[in-house]
Amino acid sequence: MVPPLQLRRCVSCQGLYVPGNGPCPRCGMREALAVEVPPLGTVVAVTELTSPAEGWSAPHRIALVELTEAVRLLGIVEGPLPVIGDTVGIRKEGDVYRFNSAPPG
Amino acid sequence: MTVHVSALGLGRFGRRTEGWLDLAAEAATLALEGLGRKPVDLLVVGSMLTGAVNGLESTVPRLASRIGMESTAGFRVDAASASGAAAFQAAVLAIESGRYERALVVAAEKMTGPPTPEVTRALANSLHPSEVAAGATMPGLAALIAQRYCARYGVSPSVFDLVSVHMRARAALNPNAQFQTPVRADEVSASRPVALPLRLLHCPAISDGAVALVVEKGAGPASVLGFGQGLDAMRLIDRVDLTTFAATRVAARRAYEMARITRKELEVIELHDAFAPFALIDLEDLGVCGPGEAGNWFAQGWVAPDGRLPVNPSGGVLGRGHPIGASGLAEIAEVACQLRGEAGPRALPRLPRIGLAQSIGGMASHNFVTILGREAS
Repeated sequence: MVPPLQLRRCVSCQGLYVPGNGPCPRCGMREALAVEVPPLGTVVAVTELTSPAEGWSAPHRIALVELTEAVRLLGIVEGPLPVIGDTVGIRKEGDVYRFNSAPPG
Repeated sequence: MTVHVSALGLGRFGRRTEGWLDLAAEAATLALEGLGRKPVDLLVVGSMLTGAVNGLESTVPRLASRIGMESTAGFRVDAASASGAAAFQAAVLAIESGRYERALVVAAEKMTGPPTPEVTRALANSLHPSEVAAGATMPGLAALIAQRYCARYGVSPSVFDLVSVHMRARAALNPNAQFQTPVRADEVSASRPVALPLRLLHCPAISDGAVALVVEKGAGPASVLGFGQGLDAMRLIDRVDLTTFAATRVAARRAYEMARITRKELEVIELHDAFAPFALIDLEDLGVCGPGEAGNWFAQGWVAPDGRLPVNPSGGVLGRGHPIGASGLAEIAEVACQLRGEAGPRALPRLPRIGLAQSIGGMASHNFVTILGREAS
């Protein structure tokens, strides 16, 4: 069972966002409520880096995945390369999101 | 107070054997020779990678000692790939303050030498740590942006090929450009994938080079009419729309307002084509055309030297080469060069009166727009 994703809902503008070190990206408010969403998203852009940065092996695949309310994640693609519109499962490891085009059952 | 560009020092971009200091000193000396014997009282340096790639800091006193300017004041400005433009704007502000009379602005980068993955990692230092942690690179993020652009406007990535063809054709007339030969669209579309839809010829080359210019009080053929900058969220995921760069839009609005002009008065643009699709986004962000329309400007040849609005007569980042901290100043210097009628074989058919330079810093997180125009001195 893949755990749900932890997001934040801004108490001021009600916007949903991915937690980082900063405040709400829309309005700058620091106060937010924790929100959990299912670990599934839709691929909106995906690419394969043939010349990744030092420390990564080629090809390295990254994608932008959209969740509810147009919240987006950037992360690493595991397994087969999905196409735009595909549903992927999402797992967070440390600070990094990982996408797999075979969603967990 | 009016400030103008009074001398230019344009170094050759490409793979150079010299180190950072030699390249910077060469461009600085060229600009100072163009100035004659007038005193310079400020040195502003723009650069991004001297620490990470060259193991070199304290660039201002280093360069000042080398070119005999120890008696001036000086500082270095960093804005990633827009460092040169940021250095220019800082120098203009310093002159406008009345504290300084004449500033030498030098922007330089030395990138060739270390292995490419090492340089790629250093360049990614201008990205958000969460993106770097996922192994994202500049071309990788640019590819994601390009896909969003294509999907949103129903544009084929083949339009990016036209951008590269345009830049390389312009660069072929620029003796200082890294690439001296044009390319055909089929060569661009057959070049090796870097991060699809981006191929090698849609991406900038690792390059060495330096540019210098002098800004001083008073009016001239390349007077500063307006300038502005804009910031945007560091994390790409926090931007509402990935098919436009808010930082360019803000910078352009501020620059147009200060210059009291609209884009219709522009007669040349030097924009920051860090990747081929960015040239399209830039044209739209500068208000030259509506969203999704810029591809047609390239397809119709409206950006050609004899077109509606000449774009990147220097060859741009893709043709001129991209010594990263130098490119922002190269963009401004090209507009000044065209306005001053010093562009030689790449001079536009009609001497422009007003031109705009746009520079992107990092993944468009801090962008700069500078408008120059001819004013009677």
